Amino acid sequence: MADSSPNTFGGAAGLASVNLAKGFVTIVVSTLALIVLCVIFAPSAVTAGSLVGSLPFASVLAIVGLGQMLVVQQGGFDLSVPGSVSLAVVIATHMPNGNDAMLLQSVLVAIGFALVAGVLNGIMVAYFRLNAIVATIGMNALLYAAVFAISGGVPRITTKLLAGIAGGKTLGIPHSVYFALGLLAIVSFVLKKTVAGRRFEAIGANPKAARAAGLVVKPYQAMAYVFAQLLYCTAGILIAGITREPTAFQGNSLLLPSVAVVVLAGTSLLGGRGFPISVVIAAFFLNQLSQFALSIGVPYSAQTIVQALALVFGIGVYSIDWTTRFKTATQSSTEEENP
Amino acid sequence: MIPLAEIAPADMVDKVRDTAPATPVVRLSGVSKSFGAVRALTDVSVDIHSGEVHAILGENGAGKSTLMNIITGVLQPSTGTIEFDGRNVMPLSPESSAALGVAISYQHPAILPDMTVLENLQVALPSSIFADERNDRVGRRLLDEVGLHVPLKARVDTLTIAQKHLLELAKALATKPRVLILDEPTASLDQDATDMLFAKVRELKAGGTAVVYITHRMAELRQIADRVTVLRDGRHRGSSLASQISNETLLDLIVGRKLASAFPPKCEVEDPPVNFQVRGLSGRKFTDISFEAGRGEIIGVAGVEGNGQSDLMRALVGLQPCTGEIRLGGSALKPKDLKTRAAFMPSDRHTEGLAADLTIRENATFSSLEKYATAGVLDREREMSKVQEVFTALAVKAAGVEAKVSSLSGGNQQKIVMSRALLSEPGYIVADEPTQGVDVGARFEIYRILREVSDAGTPVIVNSSDAAELEGLCDIVLVMSRGRIVETLRGEEITEARIVGAAVEAVTDAHHVEEARRVQDGFGAKLRHFVQTDNATVVPLVLVAVLLALFVSGQNENYLSAFNISNILILATALGFIALGQTVALLMGGIDLSVGPLAGLCVVIGSFFINDGNTAATMALGFALMFGAAVTVGLVNGLLIRFANFTPIAATLAMFIGLQGMSFVLRDGPGGYIAFDVIDTLTWRVGPIPLAFLVMVGLAIALELGLRRKRPGWQLRAVGSNEEAARRIGVPTDRTFLVGYVAVSLLTALGAVMLMAQIGVGDPAQGVNYTLGSITAVVLGGTSLLGGRGTFIGSVLGAILLTEVLNAVSFLGLSQTYQYGFQGLLILLAALIYTTARRRRED
Repeated sequence: MADSSPNTFGGAAGLASVNLAKGFVTIVVSTLALIVLCVIFAPSAVTAGSLVGSLPFASVLAIVGLGQMLVVQQGGFDLSVPGSVSLAVVIATHMPNGNDAMLLQSVLVAIGFALVAGVLNGIMVAYFRLNAIVATIGMNALLYAAVFAISGGVPRITTKLLAGIAGGKTLGIPHSVYFALGLLAIVSFVLKKTVAGRRFEAIGANPKAARAAGLVVKPYQAMAYVFAQLLYCTAGILIAGITREPTAFQGNSLLLPSVAVVVLAGTSLLGGRGFPISVVIAAFFLNQLSQFALSIGVPYSAQTIVQALALVFGIGVYSIDWTTRFKTATQSSTEEENP
Repeated sequence: MIPLAEIAPADMVDKVRDTAPATPVVRLSGVSKSFGAVRALTDVSVDIHSGEVHAILGENGAGKSTLMNIITGVLQPSTGTIEFDGRNVMPLSPESSAALGVAISYQHPAILPDMTVLENLQVALPSSIFADERNDRVGRRLLDEVGLHVPLKARVDTLTIAQKHLLELAKALATKPRVLILDEPTASLDQDATDMLFAKVRELKAGGTAVVYITHRMAELRQIADRVTVLRDGRHRGSSLASQISNETLLDLIVGRKLASAFPPKCEVEDPPVNFQVRGLSGRKFTDISFEAGRGEIIGVAGVEGNGQSDLMRALVGLQPCTGEIRLGGSALKPKDLKTRAAFMPSDRHTEGLAADLTIRENATFSSLEKYATAGVLDREREMSKVQEVFTALAVKAAGVEAKVSSLSGGNQQKIVMSRALLSEPGYIVADEPTQGVDVGARFEIYRILREVSDAGTPVIVNSSDAAELEGLCDIVLVMSRGRIVETLRGEEITEARIVGAAVEAVTDAHHVEEARRVQDGFGAKLRHFVQTDNATVVPLVLVAVLLALFVSGQNENYLSAFNISNILILATALGFIALGQTVALLMGGIDLSVGPLAGLCVVIGSFFINDGNTAATMALGFALMFGAAVTVGLVNGLLIRFANFTPIAATLAMFIGLQGMSFVLRDGPGGYIAFDVIDTLTWRVGPIPLAFLVMVGLAIALELGLRRKRPGWQLRAVGSNEEAARRIGVPTDRTFLVGYVAVSLLTALGAVMLMAQIGVGDPAQGVNYTLGSITAVVLGGTSLLGGRGTFIGSVLGAILLTEVLNAVSFLGLSQTYQYGFQGLLILLAALIYTTARRRRED
């Protein structure tokens, strides 16, 4: 079809951006449009003060979104987000109980729990071929059992140290933003620049082709859940620092947005390529959308409807891609029938 | 390209007037069909007469199946006309074709693996066939017709491939068709079954049925066909009476004369040193394969499609288990080394060859990445230079290395697969149909590359259904039939005619001649059968529920008091209704996450109308609005999933959040007390048993019976079991899914009514947990998440057990930790046990 000579491969660098195009452009354009709307209709939503107030939540969402992205890339779905975020929150607040010296230990314990949950999820989904929804729904219940075992459902106050680390500011920018950007850099680097990350994406894009090419598929699929849990855990600890008295159900409100940002960033729910930068921008977009809705007088209770619509919109935008997928699938099956 | 003998169908009609009437049953005139740029059929005209067996011959890709799909109305011709009894019947749909008396037995049976033999017959056949007699008698008779001796209640996925083909045949014969199309019916049948089939066909022929018989095998044609038509490259190459055409002429027609071509020169070394050896290799669908090749010799594998070649290819690269020995360059390869030493070029590029999402560079390098990395970090320069090197060598034509792989032509896509194989520096290369869907120009480049690789000392094994390609390319050709090598050709012996001849004339017995006939009576068999049914989970569930009740009442005797029992049952009723709805979603192979918030929203809606002091009319309006909301939600879910390409999870998750928000918009906190009379009525009980519970159980039983005995039930399971097969047998799939999701929501609304009675107030925070609860109950009940298999009874029991567990937790004075913990453990254990048990059965 493309009939240019093979010599044109030299000019490939300029074409590298083509792949980013759809998801990246869509989300950047939407975000810019939203900011313009804010400036015109709800200037209070884009003042420095309100941004400093809302950015930490966007950062937390971005981190959770990165985790969900890894799972979605493998064609999975992680419904254990609420449980694992909430568990990290209660461990980080209950274990130290205001004592700064206990903070490091509590963080290590939280990471330990996250590893166990992630490994179990991964084994159940990749090796025992359990449906990802059922496995993670069950895991979510177990994580909440741990939440209640530790906290009894009662909130405790964050330690000062954690509040300083997670909730503080440097150069006028909340620390959580640095955390989000740091994790973004790590995830992007590993996914795009290392052997393991590139294999991870290839396996997500087509596990059958990966297997036919002689790759081992299962460990990669399982690792998606482990790293996702670590990211949720980080998000939970940050929440514990940002919110003065976090509840035991802090993670509940993050499940849908975590899926929404992945979808808005252009990763197909059927698996494949991940777009970490777009996920982070989408998290900012979604957060800003809530701010905008609040400023123009949409009641707080209707916030989730706005999010649901954003998700539907996101899927709608990319459903064109899905159609071609669907067509390719039917086509090949027709070819099979009509050799 | 001029065929050697072209005999127009019209000429022949006169000569066979004694056996065939003047007007054909079916006449296709000038039929063409294109798929995009590919022309599958060009100007084909065929007459099919009643009382005749009309064989259609041709190689793979000749257009035989397309032609059949046009007669059955599955495909619409691009141009041309179809006449039945001299009457134009365009446009033809599967339904109208069936009404005209056309029945087809597909090469890949259109059967539903999760349903029983009898149900497969019932869902595919018009109910009139079962009208006169008991269903099982009719079913047994239909199976006896084709000599299929399996229990009617056996699940179809427990049948062997041959048995599945017989079942497909039984469906085709059942309608007593005027035109019967058999598409490669003997491909997996043993000799006895083939003889039975031929006897059947002769019987039908005598009764005036027109039989269209698609085959590859010349020997069969001689046994059964009256008339023969040959297709090649989508064109009609000739028709004749079978008795008046010789095998040689037929072969010439089938093969034709291909482009004289510039194949690369073959290996010129006499007896080169052996570098690849296979000894006594057996595996799925192939037996005792042995061959060897020397350095620079390309090995070809030939045969009619489906005779074990693909399986042999996959076994050679370690994708399928096999026994025997594979030696590369003198040393035997261990089974686990096959994957790493071999490079595989799969025949189906789209599903196994390429990741459409990735660029061509990423596709080319994903199996060789470590070669461009230092300590796991990639060196982009190295990767690029390697990729460019190999792309230049292979003359890949693309807009750049970052182009999407889907933007390439078939030939260039195949070169990407080849690039990947070469970049991984393999010990040997196995290419399965390397030139399928590749244009002529690129084909010869692929031949050239394979030859270069072989000359460089890497063994190359090529499977191809194109005999001309093997003739031009290979130094050794193994011809396979029914899983065995029937001929090994070398050097000058390799000609297209000999390859095709060996493949189509082979009369080797089937690989699996002996089929264990299972003993079907006795208690053991009945027990085994019960364990395989969808309702088998009832036994362990009841057992666990009873044991748990006894245990808890041992700790606290009030547990089994009338009050607590009725309390449990009321709670189980709400969950039960919602679980019934969730079962419908899972049966369709989907899931509905929005049931919990929908139940909550319904309660909130009800709380505005169903209050003390309101008129009966207002209350009725409240109930109507609850159910109206449910129908709307179900429709939106169904439409998003079926027509907007949302996955069920995405659609119902968005709905989940949206509905939750809606509840909070309607009420920001608990409010609106439900009328006491309504609550009293809804919770009215007979002894300790609430009436509503009995209604729920009754509904579950009714649904269960409907699922097993009524057409909508079969259709629901059919779309969940295998959507494509369901479509082919005439199930209205879109409508079934849509109605299904509405049913999910309506059942949820019933649950909401009970939930309303239970909490007694419009609370926007309630209901959400029912999503997890319903999925837990359904999974506990034993419904498969893969669709097609499930049980309403099991779901109700799952709901009761779950409620009982949660109730016991509070009775034993345990904290919320245990509530969540037990629920999580229950769902995970149930899913693990059922998934493992099912997989073992499938193996």
